Amino acid sequence: MKQTGIQKLIRIREKMITGKKGDTPHPLNPADADTEARVARRLSLHLAMSVREIFDAISLEKNRPASMAPFDAVFRNFADAPDQILPATGRKKIGIYCMAVPEELIYAAGALPVRLCAGSSDAAEAGEALFPDVSCPMVKAATGFTRTGVLSMYRDCDLVIIPTTCDWKVKLGELLSRHVPVMMLSVPKLKAAESSRRFWYAEIRRLVQALEKVTGKRITRKRLRTAMGLLHEAQQEFRIFQTLRMDDLCLIRGRDAAAVANAWFYMDAADWTHAARTLNEELKERKAQSLATTPPSAPRILLTGSPVVFPNWKIPDLIENAGGALVCDELCSSGRLLWDMACIDEPLFEDMLDALADRAVLPCTCPVFTDTEDRRTKLFRMIQDYKVEGVVHHVLKGCHPYDMELRPLEAKLAAAGVSQLKIETDYSPEDTEPLRTRVEAFVETLKGRRLRMGKSA
Amino acid sequence: MRIDRIRLLVQALCFVFLIYGGLLGLSIGTAIPTMSCIYAEGRGGSCFLYPFQRFLSLPWSSLFGSVAAAFLIYLGTFFIWALVFGKTFCGWICPLGFLQDLLTKIREAMGIDGSRFAWATRDRFQWVKYALLVLLILLPMGIGNSLLGLPRFTPDLAVPFCQICPGKPFIPLFYGDTSHILIDFSSLTKIIMTSLSMLIAGLFLAAGFVKRRYLCAFCPMAALLSLFDRIGFVGLRKKGEACTRCGNCFRACPMEIREIADLRDRKHMVTQDCMLCLRCIEVCPEDKALQATLLGFPVFSASAEGFLKRQARTAVLPESGNKSVKNADPGTIPSEH
Repeated sequence: MKQTGIQKLIRIREKMITGKKGDTPHPLNPADADTEARVARRLSLHLAMSVREIFDAISLEKNRPASMAPFDAVFRNFADAPDQILPATGRKKIGIYCMAVPEELIYAAGALPVRLCAGSSDAAEAGEALFPDVSCPMVKAATGFTRTGVLSMYRDCDLVIIPTTCDWKVKLGELLSRHVPVMMLSVPKLKAAESSRRFWYAEIRRLVQALEKVTGKRITRKRLRTAMGLLHEAQQEFRIFQTLRMDDLCLIRGRDAAAVANAWFYMDAADWTHAARTLNEELKERKAQSLATTPPSAPRILLTGSPVVFPNWKIPDLIENAGGALVCDELCSSGRLLWDMACIDEPLFEDMLDALADRAVLPCTCPVFTDTEDRRTKLFRMIQDYKVEGVVHHVLKGCHPYDMELRPLEAKLAAAGVSQLKIETDYSPEDTEPLRTRVEAFVETLKGRRLRMGKSA
Repeated sequence: MRIDRIRLLVQALCFVFLIYGGLLGLSIGTAIPTMSCIYAEGRGGSCFLYPFQRFLSLPWSSLFGSVAAAFLIYLGTFFIWALVFGKTFCGWICPLGFLQDLLTKIREAMGIDGSRFAWATRDRFQWVKYALLVLLILLPMGIGNSLLGLPRFTPDLAVPFCQICPGKPFIPLFYGDTSHILIDFSSLTKIIMTSLSMLIAGLFLAAGFVKRRYLCAFCPMAALLSLFDRIGFVGLRKKGEACTRCGNCFRACPMEIREIADLRDRKHMVTQDCMLCLRCIEVCPEDKALQATLLGFPVFSASAEGFLKRQARTAVLPESGNKSVKNADPGTIPSEH
């Protein structure tokens, strides 16, 4: 009697568990589930198409460094094998949404960081339903990918860390938490105050605890030193790469340079460093042979503003197809990505955490911080270092911090005699043609200016 | 080699010379602007402040009369030392600085986390060293003369700063001389001064395990030397347009000088607390953002390359190029055991 009762209970429990397993975050209504599946299918199809289109165009280009291959392979997988974008590894995967998360900590915890900031216009469309009219396309795209699960890495993460850098990110957590475990990291907006720094130090320690809990590994001083060393090796290659781009010859297309940095999002640090080292060697050879990707007459352009993430090569391609040389960018997705370096030789573990915390926030030139002077200084310095002739401001519709900061920044740059072009757009290819006209006009202006200044090459 | 290792070595050599140099008959005079204590018998050079306070306690008639020339020569010697070496005395030569740095090294080796002043606290107490400087000038003057019609101070107040300086109890210890570790009950002044001395000595030891260079924030010698910050031979320059304000230098600074990281529009960075340890240059990853200069010429500049090279020595790198490790799972950090 008793036994059968227990068996009954067990059976009911099993039913509940299996029932729960089937009850994924998707809506229970079969019609809704159907729509979801259709959205996912469409996204997967369109994404593959736009990726192939990009690579078809690239295959027609001459003079492209052969060492781009390992980076290309990562991006080709977006179309061919979305579940193989990330390296095959038994490690836990930690999704991150911003530069403000120190990746060293994730490596030290024995996990793989994956930056999930997305650039697909199709994914933005898939996520659109959940957002107000004017919203950041990056956040829309990330939601689209997570919701549909078209790129498995958006669902596979053991933890997704979202720093509260901008308002979109603040609200992103709730949307994603239906599908993946999310941890919010509160970023102070005032860099100069002591209270902000102490607060941020405490947040970083909270992050350490969360990572240790997810991975089950303790972050020790030795592990952290190893991880920081790993990143320094990558940063060394990145700095060499950027220094090569300062050369008078344009050794690599700006789009490819963005792709190199962008591949960091998905590659393991050691693999990336290896690939970047090979690329740097090739670029050095090209320099010796005076092999440039653009003619010397092409005006040198700096791209700054909202992030440019694969497959959204719209703006870099527009600039370079119009005859400009995109020599550098001040974007959190590429030019700024690995530039700032933390000290490894801090004496104690706690000091190393502080060093990482400072590195993530203090030198960051994102306009979400109140200290706008840092970005201005950085831009002026880059204009000098890369011998820049024109600046293109990229503002994604809905990216309010960059938009707000633009007017005073434009005024400062104009006062210093820098030519500028503001492009306000989103991920969709619809406005490409009108933009092309504007970019071409801008490049022609720069060329004309160079002639007038008597610096014609 | 890390600059603070080089520095520790130089400090050790200077320490041995300044404390024991006299035993070999070596001496570089008595006007050295550093805490090389007068109470060490075989010293190879001694602190400027002791004779300075002695001079000041003379009656004015003789200070500005018979000994005026000697006093001026004495001040002039100090001036030259300070002009040539400036704050390097604090960072590279001072025996008390060396002892504090040693305590810090011991603390770090023991894994005890350090502490920092709250910004407001640090700012609030910057006047203390100037107050001590004024007192060490006024009090001796009041012994030999009547200031503003006040009665003359008791001779027990002679060399007041030396009476409370932590050098007095600690440096003679290197000769096995413990006679300065006491509270003297012979007069009220002595009771107060020796109690203060013991208090400060205790603070010196305790703070060594809490914070870097704790007492240097209150040192009147630093106040005196900072008069030479702008004109001294050794300088520290900042190129504001190259600075990203990443804060590496501020965290590394033993004196917790915020200006080094925060100010972009200031060129001369030897501030009142700076001790020219040059650690800020070592940890600066931006090309030429910080430079140490000698007579205006750069001698040590910050650079990304140098930064990475120095840091790589500290990093524990997984054997790169080791194929078996690479194939297993690149970037995996081997577990500790």
